[in-house]
Amino acid sequence: MAEMWISMGPQHPMTHGLWTLKVKVDGETITDADPELGYLHRSVEKMGERRKYFMNTTLTDRLCYASSTTWTHCYVLTVEELMNVEIPERAKYVRTIMLELQRLASHLMWAGSYMPDLGHITGALYFWRDRELFLNLLEVPSGSRLLYNYIRIGGVKRDLPDGFVEKAERVMKLFEQRLDEYSDLFENSKIFRMRTEDVGKFTAAQAQNLGITGPNMRGCGTKFDLRRNDPYEIYEEIDWDIQTREAGPGYGDCFSRYMVRIDEMKESMRIIRDCFKKMPKGPTLASTIPVRAQGEAFRRTEDSRGEALMYIVGDGTDRPYRWKIKSPMFTTISAAPHYLKGYKVADIPAIMGSVDICIGETDK
Amino acid sequence: MEIKELIQELSAFKGVSNASMIRDNVVKLDIDKNSSKEFFTKLRDDFGFEHCSLITAIDNQPEFELVYHFTSINKSVTVGSTDMSVMTEVHVFLERDTPTIESISDLWGGANWHEREAFDLMGIYFVGHPDLRRVLLPEGFAGHPLRKDYVYEIHEEEW
Repeated sequence: MAEMWISMGPQHPMTHGLWTLKVKVDGETITDADPELGYLHRSVEKMGERRKYFMNTTLTDRLCYASSTTWTHCYVLTVEELMNVEIPERAKYVRTIMLELQRLASHLMWAGSYMPDLGHITGALYFWRDRELFLNLLEVPSGSRLLYNYIRIGGVKRDLPDGFVEKAERVMKLFEQRLDEYSDLFENSKIFRMRTEDVGKFTAAQAQNLGITGPNMRGCGTKFDLRRNDPYEIYEEIDWDIQTREAGPGYGDCFSRYMVRIDEMKESMRIIRDCFKKMPKGPTLASTIPVRAQGEAFRRTEDSRGEALMYIVGDGTDRPYRWKIKSPMFTTISAAPHYLKGYKVADIPAIMGSVDICIGETDK
Repeated sequence: MEIKELIQELSAFKGVSNASMIRDNVVKLDIDKNSSKEFFTKLRDDFGFEHCSLITAIDNQPEFELVYHFTSINKSVTVGSTDMSVMTEVHVFLERDTPTIESISDLWGGANWHEREAFDLMGIYFVGHPDLRRVLLPEGFAGHPLRKDYVYEIHEEEW
């Protein structure tokens, strides 16, 4: 049969944001693909060069609408490295709690949008209902539901209020019960497994070479998590394990990537509980915070979607000279031809949904 | 291999200068543009840096600087007995008139779009890149906006 290119996106239910996936098909089989980005490019890096260091947290919040705290945190961590700011012990704990709450909200957002990709609308409503619970928790200290601007250079905006621990405990207990229900609903569902198992396979070696990081790489059985392998904040002192899954020896499929995220949500709750136990009292914002910076610094963090890296060059003024953002999804989308080839057109939503795309951070 | 050994072996390579450790798990060095490809091949094959984290292009006026970050995921290089993963930060300096360097997208598939982005926004030409097109800005866009001498066009709209 003659081969032809078809264009999915920028307006397509599969895309989760504005981007185009051109696929070359031979009948129903995908023989090549060409992802195209840039519809949401806001030139965050260039805007950042004209704004003062502390002003850029509003931009980083808007990098990813599903996981804004983790991006602000990565930026703030880099600036603190550049300016040699020491933050108080309690602020580290508060940040860790907020990051893990954000990871839970982000993974739930993903799970909720993955289900309609597979034709399971009810799943979306279940997961998004639970995401509300965690958004409510994030709202308590920060005051907003989506773009928090809570993590500041030198610490956090304000301390956790009274009663936060009990409220969080209630939410987590409820969510744990629901996760058990969901495992009956999805993992034991024959249709869900038929759509996800043995679909979108790539090996761990491929993932590392192609720049696929985070849960997608851990779904291939690679035990690598920057919270453990390049620790920041308080993750060194917390009791937790890296979650990995694999579909077979050294490779992963959509189902293993789904399971990794479910396991990570359970692990995030373990981290939050341990933080509550070990959290000391004290201030949550450093007393003096510099304004100017000289030199260069980079930090990488484990974003909800993979390795986030920021590299900042300061020239002695109060604005960054060059600010570079590494988005994990940028390289994951670039590798799309490698894990789409050979599958059917109907598998595209299942595969592209399983890698958890966020176009806000990708297009910068 | 211990990170101390890594830094010794890397600094013996042709074209390498200023090798130093900037953190417990990060090695930083400069490499001459002409021997960069050989060096990167060695870094991947002999030292096990299987992941290219980031390629940053900086306009230092007048010259350009490229900063490569490579990660060792499977811990072929270690920091004592810790779990830390080692990174190598490589700086390459390019003349403003000839901002070209050999592409490494055949070594690391993940470098492909990082190079396209550096070409798109900073105008660095990667020789041997399979598909050097703009990635974030539309085709036909004039100039490279992250360069410091980029002049914003003011569009006067006709009504």
